[in-house]
Order: sequence, then C-alpha cells, then structure tokens
Amino acid sequence: MSTEMAIYFDSSACTACKGCQCACKCWNSLPSPLGLNANEFTHSYQSPMDLNGNTRLIMRFEENESPKKWGVEWSFGRRSCMHCSNPGCASVCPSGALSVDEATGFVRVEEDKCIGCRYCETACPFDVPRYYGPDSKVNKCTACLDRQENGRAAQINNGTGVTQTQFNVPACVHTCPPGALDFGPRDEMIAKAYERVEFLKNREIDPSPHASVYGDKLFDGAGTHVIMVLKYPVETYGLPVDPKVSPMVDLLGWMKPLTGLAAAATVAGLGLSFLTGIGYKRDTLHYDEKKH
Amino acid sequence: MELSRRGFLQATGLALGTSLAYELSTQSQAFALEGDAPFKLVNTEEYTNICCYCSGGCGSICSVRDGELVNLEGDADHPINRGGLCSKGATMSQLRNIVTEDTREIVYNPNRMTKPMVRRPGTSQWEEISWDDALFEIARHVKDTRDANFIAEENGVTVNRTEAIASLGGSQQNNEEDYLILKSMRSLGVIALDNQARV
Amino acid sequence: MTGHWNDFKNADVLLTCGSNNVENHPESARWVRAACDKGAISIVVDPRYTRSAAVADVYCPIRPGTDITFWGGLINYIIQNDKWQKEYVLTYTNASYLVHEDYSFDVETGLFSGWDESKQKYVTTSWGYQEEESVAPNTGTGGAFAYVLKPGTPEFTPPHKEVPRKDMTLTDPNCSFNILKEHYSRYDIETVTKVCGMDAETLEQVYSLYASTGAPEKVGAILYALGQTQHHYGSQNTRAMCLVQLLLGNIGVPGGSVNALRGEPNVQGATDMAMLVYDFPGYMKWPTVASHPTLRAWLEHETYADGYYTNKPKFFISALKEWYGEHATVDNDYGYDWLPKIGSTDFTTMSTFEQMDAGVIKGYFCWGMNPANSTANTKFARQALSKLEWLVAVDWVETETACFWRAPDLDPAEIQTECYYLPAALIYEKMGSISNSGRWIQWRYKALDPVDEAKPDYEICDLLWSEITRLYREEGGPCAEAILNVKWDYHRDGKIDPRAVSMALNGYKWKDGADWDSRELLSTFGDLGADGSTACALWIYSGFWANNDDRWEAASQKVGGRALEDPSGLGLYPGWAYAWPLNRRILYNRASADAEGKPWNPERNVVEWTGSEWVTNDVPDFGFKTTAADGTVTWTPPNNKAFMMLWEQNARLVSYSLKDAPLPEHYEPFESPADNALNKRQNSPMIQFADHPSVKRGDRSEYPIAVTTYSVVEMWQTGSQTRGCPALVEARPEQFIEMSVELAEEKGIQNGDTVRVWNNRGDVKLSAFVTRRIKPLMVNGELCHVVGMIHHWGWAGMYSTADTVNDLAPNVGDPNSYIPEFKAFLVNVEKA
Repeated sequence: MSTEMAIYFDSSACTACKGCQCACKCWNSLPSPLGLNANEFTHSYQSPMDLNGNTRLIMRFEENESPKKWGVEWSFGRRSCMHCSNPGCASVCPSGALSVDEATGFVRVEEDKCIGCRYCETACPFDVPRYYGPDSKVNKCTACLDRQENGRAAQINNGTGVTQTQFNVPACVHTCPPGALDFGPRDEMIAKAYERVEFLKNREIDPSPHASVYGDKLFDGAGTHVIMVLKYPVETYGLPVDPKVSPMVDLLGWMKPLTGLAAAATVAGLGLSFLTGIGYKRDTLHYDEKKH
Repeated sequence: MELSRRGFLQATGLALGTSLAYELSTQSQAFALEGDAPFKLVNTEEYTNICCYCSGGCGSICSVRDGELVNLEGDADHPINRGGLCSKGATMSQLRNIVTEDTREIVYNPNRMTKPMVRRPGTSQWEEISWDDALFEIARHVKDTRDANFIAEENGVTVNRTEAIASLGGSQQNNEEDYLILKSMRSLGVIALDNQARV
Repeated sequence: MTGHWNDFKNADVLLTCGSNNVENHPESARWVRAACDKGAISIVVDPRYTRSAAVADVYCPIRPGTDITFWGGLINYIIQNDKWQKEYVLTYTNASYLVHEDYSFDVETGLFSGWDESKQKYVTTSWGYQEEESVAPNTGTGGAFAYVLKPGTPEFTPPHKEVPRKDMTLTDPNCSFNILKEHYSRYDIETVTKVCGMDAETLEQVYSLYASTGAPEKVGAILYALGQTQHHYGSQNTRAMCLVQLLLGNIGVPGGSVNALRGEPNVQGATDMAMLVYDFPGYMKWPTVASHPTLRAWLEHETYADGYYTNKPKFFISALKEWYGEHATVDNDYGYDWLPKIGSTDFTTMSTFEQMDAGVIKGYFCWGMNPANSTANTKFARQALSKLEWLVAVDWVETETACFWRAPDLDPAEIQTECYYLPAALIYEKMGSISNSGRWIQWRYKALDPVDEAKPDYEICDLLWSEITRLYREEGGPCAEAILNVKWDYHRDGKIDPRAVSMALNGYKWKDGADWDSRELLSTFGDLGADGSTACALWIYSGFWANNDDRWEAASQKVGGRALEDPSGLGLYPGWAYAWPLNRRILYNRASADAEGKPWNPERNVVEWTGSEWVTNDVPDFGFKTTAADGTVTWTPPNNKAFMMLWEQNARLVSYSLKDAPLPEHYEPFESPADNALNKRQNSPMIQFADHPSVKRGDRSEYPIAVTTYSVVEMWQTGSQTRGCPALVEARPEQFIEMSVELAEEKGIQNGDTVRVWNNRGDVKLSAFVTRRIKPLMVNGELCHVVGMIHHWGWAGMYSTADTVNDLAPNVGDPNSYIPEFKAFLVNVEKA
C-alpha cells in the first residue's frame, strides 16, 4: 500500500445535520422513495432507521439520561461501512466485487462484478452491506474511491494554514459543515482522534469522561479505515464494543471457489477478478469461540 | 490580485465555465482516467453559486456538462463554508434532477411545475396556458384592478396609490430581481409590499 | 449582523438564545466550534435540548416567550456584580445622557410614561433627553449641510441639533444608565427563575459565564434568530440583547455583536432593498401621508442633525433619479409626487389578510412565498385568499398558496379567484447577487438554462412590466405618468440583463443620453449628491459593482472577488465578495478600541490610533480622516463617536426609537400559561391585531400547554422546496410534535402515536415524538408543560404531505416589526 487512508468522524463535533447522508445520495446518484408519503415514519430524528439498498450512510441518534440537571446525552453516530483493514466481506466475496484497495486500504466496491450471493452480508461484523435491484447488487460505502482517484487537491492557503480540497475526498467528508468529518493518512487521523479525546476529557466545563477512540485497535489491532471519536460510551452509538467477524466467514471462504465458479459461468469476464479475490488475508480473520 | 481559485483549477484541470474563466481556460485539460467508468466530473464546466436556504451565504460549485447539471457541492474555497453544505444545501441538485427508484436514471424532478398554469374561477384544476396569454391576462387584471381602485389624493395630499393590489416576496430572489419587483409594484401605486422578513 | 459568520471564531463566550444555530444555520457550527476549540465557552438557552444544545458546553431551559426576563436578569446581574465595561459604556453609549424629567415606569399598570389610552399608543417625548442647547445646522463651507446650497438640491431646512444634557459622573438619577439600573433591579435571580422556569444554579452559571465578557479584553457573541423576534414584543427582545452587549462592551468588537441569523437566503438583500411596506431602499422611510406629504417634508423629517445621516438627502434624491431618470428634475421634486404615499391603514403581511378578507385587496402577487402555509393563523389566511379576484404565484413548484383553492378545508367550486402559476428558474439557472446575514453581497453565476418553460424572476417581472406599460400607453389611466415616466432601461441587446440592474444599485453619475456602456460607475456613496448629478438605487451597495473597465463581468467586480487573503487573521477576508457598506466587515468597529484608540485586546485589532494616524484592518466605521480639495489628509484623533448612524453618535441604553417601550419590559405572550409576575399588565399595551375576530384568543383553562414552533435542518420553511427533494424527505419523512415523557404519560401517549393538537384557531394531527429533551418547567410555582412543533408541511407536493401547523399560531404581532407571535402560544393535546 502507498498510504493507508482513513475517514475521521468526531461525534462530539457532529451536529447531526445529515449533510453527509444526503451528499452520499447525491454524489452516488442513489434514489430515495418517490411515492407520496412512501417513507416509513420513524418517530425519531433518525431516518431511515437503517441502511438499505439505496442508502449507504445514515446518521444515528440515541438519547440517554444525563447526569446533568437538564438535557440528555445525545449520541450522534455515523452508521456506514467501517472499511475494516481485514474485511470479512472482501474475504468471502467470490466475484471480486468487494476488494481491498491497495493504495488506500478502503474496501472497494465494483457493482458490475457483484453476483448477488450476499455472502458479504453474513461476513460483516457491522451488518453493513445491503442490496438493490432485481439482481441484488451490493450497495455499500465506496469511500468515494472515484473521487480519491480522480479528484485533485487544491492547495490553498486560506490564512489559517488549512489546506482546502475539492472532489478528492469522500463526498460526506467534503460536505460536513462543522468539520466533524475529515480524511487523511490513517496514522494522522488516529493521532488527531487521540488528541481530540484528550481535549474532550479535560475540558474545564462539560468534560466527557467516556470519550474514546474507536476503530484504530479493533480486530486485534488490525482496525478499520474509519476512525471515530466517541463522546459517550461506545454502545450508545449502536457500535459493538468488540466486533467479531462472523464465524461463517471461514466456512464461506472455503466454499467460495465452488459457488464462485458457478456464478462466474453466468457472469462473463469475471474469472480473473474472482481468482484474485480468493483467500485475501483470510487467515487473520478472527473467530471468537466463547461467543459462538 | 491572487485568485486562490486558480491553483485549484489548474490542479484539477477541469474545463472552465465562462463565469470563472479568468485567463485560465486555455490551460484546461482532460482527466487522465483509470478504469472503465468515466469519472463523474469529466469535461464539466464549473459555476459558483450561493445556497438558496438559510442566510449563511454558503458557496457551491455547479458542475455542468452538455448543458446539464452533473453535480453540485460546496465550494472548498469559500471562506464561510469551506466546501461544507448541510443536508439541504447538499441536496440542491434535486431541485432540478432526481434519481428514479427502479433504474437509477437521472430525470427532471417531476415535482417541479415548469409551465405557466391557470386555474379558472370555480374549477378544481390547473390548465396549461402560454406565457403570452398568461402575461396578457395578468396585465389586464393588474390594470383593471389598479384603475378601479386608484386613490389620487387624500386630505389634499397627492398619494397616488392603490390598496387593491399586494405583493409578497423578495427573500428568495436576487437583489437585482428585488429592485425590479419593488420598482414595478411601487410604481403601480402598491403599498402592500412585503417579504419574508416578517414571517 | 454587525459582524459576519466567520467572526464567531473570535469570541470568548457564545450565547445562543432564540436560535437553533447549528441546525438551522448549519455553517455557524464550524465557526462556533473554531472558537470552542481555542477554549471558548458556548451556551445554549432554549425551551428544548436542541442539536445546538448537544454540541454546547452549557444548556439552560427557558419557557417560550420569557426572553426579556432572562435578559433583564442578566442586565441586573451585570450591574449588581459590577461586570459592566465602564470605559466603553461611558464613552460610547448614552449612559451619561439625562433622560427627560417626566420619564417613568409604573409596575402597577405596566405602563411607561406617555401612554395615550384613547389612541392606544405612546407619546414618546418623555423617553427623550433633557436639552442642553440647540445648535443651528452648519451650511457654511466644510459644514455638514454645505451641500444644501448646491444648485439642483431641493429646498429644505436642515434640522437643529438638540444637544443633550449629560452627567459623566452618573450621579443624576435620570442618567440613562441609572434609569436602566433601576428598571432591571426587579429582575433578580429568584424572579427570573420563577418566570422562565429554569433553576437558579444553572441560571447563575449562564449569567456568570456570559458576564465575564465585560472584562475589556474579553468578548462575547449573542446568536439569535426567530426565537427572539417572533413575539409580539420581538423588537424589545432584540433591544434587550443590545443592552447586554453594550453593557459588556461587545458591540463593534470582533467576536462580539448581536448576531441575527436570518432565515432566508436573501432576506438581508430584500430588507436592504426595502421589500417592506414602510421602508425605502437603503434603510430610509417610504413616504407617508402623515409625515411626508411633500419632498420637502420628507427631507426635513428624515434628515439627521448630526452623524452620517446628515447626508440622507443625497441617498434619497439619487434613488429618485435612478427611479425616474430624465423625468426626475429639481422642478418636479425628482418625481416624488408619483411615489405612492402610505395612509393610515397598515398593510404588512398579517394585515394584508385582514384587508383581503375585507375586500380591499383584490389582486395578489406571491414571489417565492407561501403564506397560505407560512403565515400565522393560516386557516384565516386561506379564507382571505379565497376572496381575491386574482392571484399570481411565481415559484419553482406548486406551493400551497398557488393551489390554496384545493386546501382540505376549502371548496374550489365556491372560490372565484383566478389563479396563475408562473414557473421560475432555480438559483443556478440565472445570474444575480445575493446578500447573506453578514452583509456579504455575493454573485450567483448562471450554470445552465432553466428546465422547460421556467424563466428567471427578473425576466418574468420585465415581461409583466412591459405588458402593463403597453396597456397604459395604449389606453391611458389614472396617473398613468407615474408608470410611464419610470426609467426601465435594464436591457442589453434587447433582453433584460440583471447586470444593468447591478449598475443601477451601485450608482453612477447621471448624464443625459448615457447608457449602461457609458455611465460612470461610482465606487463610494460618498460621491452621491442631492442635486440630481448622481443616480443610485441602493446607496449602501455602492462600490459592489464599480469597475468601469469590465462592467459586464461579475468576476471583475468586487462582488465577484474570490481572494482569500486575511491579513488580520480575524477572518475578515476583505477581497472575498463585498460587504456593505463600503466593504466594511465589522460595523461600529470604532468601539473595538478604547477612548484613546487602542484595541481592547491586541489580538482583536481592527482599528488602532498610533498617536498620529489610524492603522486599520477593516474599513473604519467612523470619521477617521478628512481629505481636503488638494488631497491633503488630516487624521481625526480618537473621539467618542462610535455609532455614527445615530445623530447622537452614541449607542442608546434608554431609547425613544421604538413604539412600545424605552426599555424592554417583560410581558406575557398573548396566549400564556402564566400571569405576568413582573408588572400588572399581561400583554404589551402595543400588541397588534389582537382584536381581530379571526384571532380567537384561547385561555389556559382550556389550553394549558405552552407551545413553540421551529424548524429542523432537513426541511425549510413551508417545505415547498425541501419536500420536493426526495433525499430530504427520506431524511425527515414526517412532521412531529416533541413532548416530554411526563406529558406523554399524563395524556397516555406513546412515542409514534398520532396526536391531535388544537386550539380555537385550528386542529392538526401529527406524530408524537416523546423525548427527555423537553422537560416540564416550574412557572410561578406551578408545573408548566411545553411542547414543540415543526412546521414544514402542507397539502401540496408529490412526495410528502401533512397538516398545516401554522393554522394554530395566533395572528397577533409586534408594533415595530409586525412579526407574528409564532414562538409562544397555547394548545391542548390528546391521543388521536
């Protein structure tokens, strides 16, 4: 890999405006329900309530009691692909539709290669992949690799030393009004997250004792390419404290050549990518026997 | 004057919109593409705009190819929003174009009414009307109403007003449009001229 | 705002009250956060725990409609604890001015001196100053009024200046400061908590944090929006915030200001342009029968004796010259008589529906506006609309106003209104300038052609005008010359061109026969004359489009500026766009420095007197130098004139400028769950429209629940635009009412239940959102339930529809701004 990259999400700076959720839809030309009052009512600030075949990113809301006299602990979470360093989904994908991008470490999606086997759904420790269309194509965050690869940085000195960018960072990051999302080399994002957590913990007024970094050390240190600063306890963001790749991954990985071959016969020209997808870092996938 | 936009445009090599042309249009070049799928913004022209929702004045960039809107997102150079746009701002392209559910095709937003319409008294639906006919009928209404309800003088003071016509709006228009609306309405004698500043 | 959006980053403390800034002005979050990352404290005071509260350091609840009590308590706290910025207050405000001997306030009646019971209004003389002397206007060479003698200037007598009596020792009880101090002494912590409903500990924390900005080197910003203004005493709410900021020395300083986060993209521009009944472009007054029957009367009534508005006639005459062109001459008073004069009947938005209902208004233009869904008491508004003879809605989509005739509560067969819908171009389908809340005028480039038959509003207006004038040319009509003498020459190559209008707004030297390719554009309103030598539609915009060399290219004009240099580091960006007036980024910036001209804080250096000259990072907002005819510059040493748009040139603590009070005093909302605990009058004596039969006041015995209405980030106003964007509908698919767990339990309501919300004006159904973010408050010792409703839905649109919440809001309003009271009224709630 050249430089491992990561998306940074700071829940303490997030204002839950859903700019990211909408920018994702617009950049990726993803539809929303078009019938009159066709959306399910959620009775919540969150909507839709979960990812779906046309939704790769949602803002998640959770209210919990606060020790303070007024208000609540209101967790604003980002629910989308975490871009695991050792992704179960890519590992089991028989057609090469999901793969790890060598340059950045993000999990690449090539929909035209997807054969609709839905193995990735089972393999994902975060329950992320969804499907759309009659052929059941996978729908998940692409980390806007198209932007990363084709866009170019604009080196602009804006007077505060910040470099502005356009079209070369994921659409969600670009649109974030409070700058709660960022994008950059993974080690820099991790360092930034730890710095932020220290800042939050040590504020004179309104300190956040539960603040933590999420994503850097998961999966026995392999981690993810989304690095989060969580202001409140991890669970309040709907995130697993210690996520595990499904045990099915090993099984599916073993079965893959068979199903993959069958599928490849129906999807012309995918043989090569199918083969290159086999066994990607499969050995490092984790199976926690105590929980299963 | 050092135009910061310049560095960016050179770097991206996008074809330039006339509005931002400066002297750079000759320097644009096509994208070097990898893979099969053409990048969404290949050969687009860019035009800056300002958001149509709150009064933040956030900058946006409209990317246009062959006269059609390909993308709209925050202007990274803009000192207020630095490329950011909230959910509403980030969705401004949908005011014009939406994506169909079944085929994921981009089509004009069918919710937008793009032809002049008239609803005749007592009826329950719109009928299409040509621009010429609509303008002719409205002008007739305006003149008849004004002339029948014109107050030239009040207590010896020249007042030249009509209280029978009202005009509401201005916060959604550009400044130049506001001046034309103001000037036309006030010149007709309209007193009841107001805008969203109150509501 | 007197500052701008980026300026929030310069604050030490940010107090958001009456605004949900991170949600409804999302980019403000970036700059509030920038301040907090440097150690600033942010505070949110709001009836509910909002998304803004979630990212703030301190949250304090408040009962809707009790802001003056909250601010009054803060004023009292600041004075009692000696936190006020003394040098600032003494130098730059009218603290030392002696207010009229007859000034008084009576707690028993809740009335200030000057109340005229028969006319139901105040005579404000006793709110003015004691007079020291009267100074005649200087019309001599170099005098402020020398220009009146120039040929071509209409005859008028400039005013005498009544110099106020002062007591710089602040010992006289009638000092403006002492009156203020006495007035707010009733607003102690206990009283404030009793009225507003928060606890004393939280309140004192907020007061203490915010009052800390009274230290000269500290600065605090107040962020507000419609939560402060949409009350029948909304103007007094804003005055109360000004008083706080003046006492703490926070106006004119980077990171300070009373920041109005305005709700519409160009509401600033529309206000600048005076798309308002009583205003004339550039914050002047539209002529009225009572005060301005003639041009002479206008000039004598509106020209100030001192300060910058001694120049007002120059702006007014130049505007008339632009309006009528060659037809405006000194002999015909520059066409003044052709302008309509306002009579005694009010025609602001709420009144227009009363006037439609009464049959006075017969035809209605709605430009991108949707009152059938947005005004207060929309049910009444729709009934009023149905009495119109004709209606023209110019919009992007079918709004509820365009199709009011098919509202669920109306029968189209009975409505004789002829309704036209004219399709308008989107913002990126046309060009033009727009002004944000920070007064930045920015350019919108046309990116592509409108879809189908849609046209820009400017073209629609031009086509209409050309058709109307054709009729008057052919048929004549009463006072047709008022129409036919209008200068309407904004065409290029035979087509209307907004850039010609930009030049008209900017101003130019008048020359008979000249056109837009040859007129000399002016770079400052300082060059305008009252003698017909200049034409300028909007004086405050002068300079935004002044490049004569490339006059048709926005990118070559200051409005198109995209330079990101920020030499001061304060986020002023002088080369980005154009901030009116004169590209000034912070108004009243003289007050950012002390009496000797040294910045209060060297980190916030906007203007500085070196001892021999002014060094400036921003365009100075004060008389800082004079330039003689030969070009010799004489620097003006520091003085106390920090507010040059007032004749006193000092900011007002006690003020006679509003109609309803010289100092903000607490009154209860029109419909309130509580009795007024601060004086014995329940509502402001000047409340507007309360007697109209459509208002149907409700009582708390029937409607015990206090409600406030607001917006969410995913939706906007009546939702016409946002409910038309599928991704936004998906992100916010339904309308809801937020209520506390306690109220839900009391009413047997579960989260997600459909509930009925009603009062005497209307009845709506919407989804219940039960949350801990709203809690019942103890008010005057009794439990008070508060609920909140969003208001973005109606019956039009193809993706999402629901009931119109504004049916419930009372159509009563403020006597200064005529804003309705959307933010505090009463309802009842039950499970549907």
